[in-house]
Amino acid sequence: MAINDALSSRMSALAAELSARLGAKVIEEARFRGELTCRVAAEDWVAVLETCKTAPELAFDQLDSLLGDHLPERGPAPFEVIAHLVSHAHGWRVRIKTALAEGQELDTVTQLWPSAGFDERETWEMYGIVFAGHPDLRRLLTVPDFEGFPQRKDFPIKGTVGGRIRTDLKGKI
Amino acid sequence: MRDWLSNATEKIERLERQLNMRPTHEPESAHQPEPAHDGEVSAGEHSGEHGSKHAGPAGGEKSRPTMEQLKERKARSRQRVENAGEIMTLSMGPQHPSMHGVYRAELDLDGEVIVAARPEIGNLHRGVEKLAEQLTYHQVIPLTDRLDYLSGFAMNHGYCEAVEKLMGLEVPARGRYIRTLASEMCRVANHILWLGVHIMDLGTQTFFCICFRDREYVLDLFEMLTGARLTHSFARIGGVAKDLPDDFGRRCREVIDFLPKRVAEYERIIKNNRIYYKRAKGVGIFTSEDCFAWRVTGPTLRSAGVARDLRKDEPYAAYAEVDFDVAVEYNADVYDRFLIRMKEIRESCKIIRQCLDNMPDGPFVAKDAAHTLPLKRDVMRDSAAMIQDFEQVFRGPRVPKGEVYVATEAPKGEMGVYVRSDGGPRPQRVHFATPSFYHAQAVPPLIEGEMISDVVAIFASIDVVLGDTDR
Amino acid sequence: MGMIGGPSEGSGPLGASRASGGADRMAALNRLLRRAPDEEAQEAVGEEGMGGPVRWPGGFAMPVQIERILGFGRSFSFWPLLFGLSCCAIEMMALGGDRFDMSRFGMEAMRASPRQADGMIVAGWCSIKMAPRVVRLYEQIPDPKWVLAMGSCAISGNIWDTYNIVQGVDSLLPVDVYVPGCPPRPEALWQGLEMIRDRIKQSKHAYDGLRRIPAREAIEG
Repeated sequence: MAINDALSSRMSALAAELSARLGAKVIEEARFRGELTCRVAAEDWVAVLETCKTAPELAFDQLDSLLGDHLPERGPAPFEVIAHLVSHAHGWRVRIKTALAEGQELDTVTQLWPSAGFDERETWEMYGIVFAGHPDLRRLLTVPDFEGFPQRKDFPIKGTVGGRIRTDLKGKI
Repeated sequence: MRDWLSNATEKIERLERQLNMRPTHEPESAHQPEPAHDGEVSAGEHSGEHGSKHAGPAGGEKSRPTMEQLKERKARSRQRVENAGEIMTLSMGPQHPSMHGVYRAELDLDGEVIVAARPEIGNLHRGVEKLAEQLTYHQVIPLTDRLDYLSGFAMNHGYCEAVEKLMGLEVPARGRYIRTLASEMCRVANHILWLGVHIMDLGTQTFFCICFRDREYVLDLFEMLTGARLTHSFARIGGVAKDLPDDFGRRCREVIDFLPKRVAEYERIIKNNRIYYKRAKGVGIFTSEDCFAWRVTGPTLRSAGVARDLRKDEPYAAYAEVDFDVAVEYNADVYDRFLIRMKEIRESCKIIRQCLDNMPDGPFVAKDAAHTLPLKRDVMRDSAAMIQDFEQVFRGPRVPKGEVYVATEAPKGEMGVYVRSDGGPRPQRVHFATPSFYHAQAVPPLIEGEMISDVVAIFASIDVVLGDTDR
Repeated sequence: MGMIGGPSEGSGPLGASRASGGADRMAALNRLLRRAPDEEAQEAVGEEGMGGPVRWPGGFAMPVQIERILGFGRSFSFWPLLFGLSCCAIEMMALGGDRFDMSRFGMEAMRASPRQADGMIVAGWCSIKMAPRVVRLYEQIPDPKWVLAMGSCAISGNIWDTYNIVQGVDSLLPVDVYVPGCPPRPEALWQGLEMIRDRIKQSKHAYDGLRRIPAREAIEG
């Protein structure tokens, strides 16, 4: 998809609006391939997203997806939570992300967008990032007593760690 | 015969009124036995062009309900939750006769009314996202096939669009048109199967057989084009895998001339069917605010009056160059989702015809030594292509550091693909924000307060497939 | 395609395709595809695989001819459990559809309840969350029962060699016939069902004569 002038002007408009509303909360801003990414601090997470949702100039009414990421090479804050927001009124998208240390909690945004319920459950299940205030933070996609957080980079891809697959019984039954 | 039937239905309605048995979610305009949308369909001959005359809702301006009316209708059917007596918990377990896959919901029932619902997914979780981190960008394409396996190419397409955006790679025109054509064929196949499964859930077996028969024609086309009926793996980074076969244009035109007539017949049978009308009209109302809050997209969102279609709003592939209408309805119920999907089949046939008519010449895959796989016929003849093939297969493509998020209009809703690269040949993180994941989450607000017999109709109308949900 | 009918039964829809390929290659593939019966099952049932009376608990023994008649009858109405997990389920449904009509072979009544089913077509990958339910459903199907593992995911886990997927459903249940493919065409599934019907005619099961229920300890807890 080629980035045309209209898109980049809209991105500038969006960036201007965001800096006007959020100000110093945006630690870092990046533009890549026509997409705007804002990094915020973990303490400002809910405040920033609430502003994004409620401010009529921004009007991000849908949380397209909320996901986690694990970058072990980034020492002090290896985890990341990324939220993709979309605004139907203005027709623009933004990515808000925050960096977390091991064991650091993040506030939930299910009160803003209920669709974050499953997203945050899955992020907790896969990475171990606890969302404070989530109504129902438990395993979603794996068995309820699964041990470990599978999508961390140090978790092996193949089975029998944290799961119970008896490959030694293959063909003997 | 027809008079006898209408007399009988009037008698039944009178009895229902006498015994106070009228269901509360009956719409106001239900005195006539025929539904209001009858004028659009003529019995018999109906070609694809007729659908384009009706760009808006079929019912006309006066029957478009406002948000307050929709909320009031929803509240009327949801009233029963507050007076809950003794609760029985029923596990609508992972193995059940409805064909949606292994979805489990724990329903708290008060008689026949659902008081609370707790969905449980994950019975098909494979760890696609983690597996994608171990494979090169090219090798992830067959994994995406198996996400929404009813429309395999649409998933490939979405993933390839994201990776190409990350690489900054431009797909040649013919490749874009072939992708559009195949994506629309996926949409047609998906919606036909949806209809068969939906009507089968409501009790008949006939439509299942009818729809599978018609779907076989589309699968024949896919087999001709891609080699596989279901799991196509046809998209490649930079285009598609193969060119259109020689006879494809003729065969495809036969199918897309035939399908709108079939759709007209489905509509004729189902729209005038009193049972379907009663089971679908006013059932499962999900307003646009609910849809935004629960990230429900696709035909369900469009049935709530929001004309959001990523093919029009954020066009990708060749969608900016073809002309089609967006199907929108305003009643936000199961009936409208059926109408929207039928209209989408007709519009997809229109798009396919335009793609075939305007198919540009040229390469169908980009020639970029660092990013794409070369054509196999060049690999055996040209040493540069052989080296490129070796590099791409054994090492992987060269991708700059960065992250992208691309949303495409999959047949079930909006699929968002997030790809993050750290400069290596394998993705650092891939995330598929699939529509069924959020639709599965939206089941409790949709069904709480409804009767248990409506659950099947509602769950079928929001179109959940568990491979898409669990990834 | 990989499915080839046995030399003794040529009644599958792909019977004509046996003309291609060498006979010994076909025999080797046949051995690979047909699951070898258990040693204990052979002893319990008899040397010929089917010959000898069928012994039931309590001392009652049934002569083999009645079993053969029963098997012949059972083979024409094998009603599998409606158990599609994923993509292969769509091809299974296509087999029930109009073009590859399985109702002409008596199989269209896919039962929703395991108590009324004759067997199971495991179509799709089985996750460790689903595994206890698969075993429970298998146990709930009354004897005699046959299992067909459809698709590469049910045979060996296919490409999903991950933390959550059982690498082959034969770690959980005794499987009679394996149908490879991703997904196998409906005709290939039909060839697998023909092999199941052969086994039904001969009353050959993948579990042994004592009807041992397969390993519940495959799933801990």
